[in-house]
Amino acid sequence: MRYLVGVGGYLAGDDGVGPRVVDYVLENGLDQDLEAIDLSTDAVSLVAYLDDDTEAVLVVDAAHLGLAPGDFRVFSPEQVETRKELGGLTTHEGDVLKVLELAREAGFPIPPLAIMGIEPGEIAEGRPLSAPLRERLPEYAAVAVERLAAL
Amino acid sequence: MTTARIRVDHLTRVEGHGNIVVNVTDGVIEKCEWQVPEAPRFFEAMIRGRHYSEVGRITSRICGICAVGHTLSSVKATEAALGIEISEQTRKLRELLKYAENCDSHILHVNFLAAPDFLGAPSVFPLVATHGEVVARALRLKRLMHEWGSLIGGRTTHPMSVVPGGFAAVPTTKELEQLREKLVAALPDLDAFVATIVSVAGSVPDFDRPTEYIALSSDTGYALYDGDIQSLLPDGTKQRYPVADYRQVTNEFVVPQSTAKYTRNKLEAYAACALARFNNNYDMLHPEAKKVAETLGIQPICTNPYMNTVAQVVEIVSNIHESLRLLDELIETGVELEPLVEPTRYGTGAGAAEVPRGVLFHEYTYDDDGMCLGGDCVIPTNQNHNNIQYDFEKLVPELVEQDKSEKEMELALEMLVRAYDPCISCSTHYLDVKFVR
Repeated sequence: MRYLVGVGGYLAGDDGVGPRVVDYVLENGLDQDLEAIDLSTDAVSLVAYLDDDTEAVLVVDAAHLGLAPGDFRVFSPEQVETRKELGGLTTHEGDVLKVLELAREAGFPIPPLAIMGIEPGEIAEGRPLSAPLRERLPEYAAVAVERLAAL
Repeated sequence: MTTARIRVDHLTRVEGHGNIVVNVTDGVIEKCEWQVPEAPRFFEAMIRGRHYSEVGRITSRICGICAVGHTLSSVKATEAALGIEISEQTRKLRELLKYAENCDSHILHVNFLAAPDFLGAPSVFPLVATHGEVVARALRLKRLMHEWGSLIGGRTTHPMSVVPGGFAAVPTTKELEQLREKLVAALPDLDAFVATIVSVAGSVPDFDRPTEYIALSSDTGYALYDGDIQSLLPDGTKQRYPVADYRQVTNEFVVPQSTAKYTRNKLEAYAACALARFNNNYDMLHPEAKKVAETLGIQPICTNPYMNTVAQVVEIVSNIHESLRLLDELIETGVELEPLVEPTRYGTGAGAAEVPRGVLFHEYTYDDDGMCLGGDCVIPTNQNHNNIQYDFEKLVPELVEQDKSEKEMELALEMLVRAYDPCISCSTHYLDVKFVR
């Protein structure tokens, strides 16, 4: 199975872009050859999809990359270092990179995996996606599905 | 004489943002506060004008960890308001889902948030090198709980299949049999997890502050999905209240140091947490959990708030064994997709469920078209803030009396807050990275 995983606070402005991409994929029937998973803020549960029989995982998440709001990059975990200093894994502090690091060190198999990082504009509680990101949801979904298939 | 200036902004290893502020000069305590500075999130406003079928979807988003509990409390409140009586199969499946969430959250808290304190590590990350199997086991159990919740709820985080009147989709009997096999296969991991906690239980700080304990309670089982509200006082006095009267218990009020509302009932504050459930409902624990409680040295009425983490371990054991019983019952009868029970009236109703951090209340009012006119959500972490403050006010003088250093005081206070496993709000989650290749 190939998994498209959205991570982020659904109602926290652009932090919720990952789950919104998952919503778009499901609502538009783009999940024919994959399973689309909304993990919201429970990134630790990514370990549930790290199996020997997992073909590939693409995680969609908001990411500060130094790009214009709405622009994105698809990259492997090995290509980046986190700038976060974490006291632990909570739904607030944890991030996908730390979960992967912990899982790898604990002996979990890491399937072919990529992260689609989307530069957020506004991140704030109770806010919807900002216009630049909302308008590009179809593009994000299409790229995510295509890149997952190519992993 | 002790002098300390403790200012912990955004305490780590808790869900959300809370501050600890303590000023002590030459042994005189000048300030001692647990502060919650997060902004209100206005969910009660978001649901106004929404159809009853949408409300649970929205309020589920209050929390990414307690999403099942918010969904269940929400649909229960909606069903109470609409005069809906659910089937026995629905009740059993919801109980099974509730157990999954409780175990999922407790595994995360005990292993990843609290354990570093007991094992002398700043976070879970260094434990991979020193306690690799403990971390690997914790991740295996976390994965199992996620799969369990996803099977019953459609997905664990913000479940989709739980709707007013029943379930929109149900697992097959074969899938339930497979889940049962996985739970049985995980029992050795569960035993090893308990053994690890037993080995560090002696390092739980020695502190007592008798308080009032509020939890759901039932005569038919260890109440998580359903029950009346029960108050337990330190002298053992109990009183039950219907869920519809929850405001008589919560009595919310505001304080200058916090943006979150505080609560109190018969005493100056009360606790709503795993320890409150354990104290109220010890007799209803599964026998295997009672054995573990004895091994861990916890018995009711336990008045040490640091033992909340230990109570969570006892609950995991009870929940898993009760789930095996429920699965046996469901497998024996078989599971079929039932038609949703339709509303019989429109009005006001309250619902409650125990979430990992304590009892959670939702209440809604609907008009004759099933549109929401207003709602109220009282979450357990807010019910615990006042109790944490009173714990601080007893603990800090004891620490000063013991001539603890500033660093020792800070750690003791941080561990106390973490023991409550507070979930202050679901915050943001974005990555912050730099490219190295």
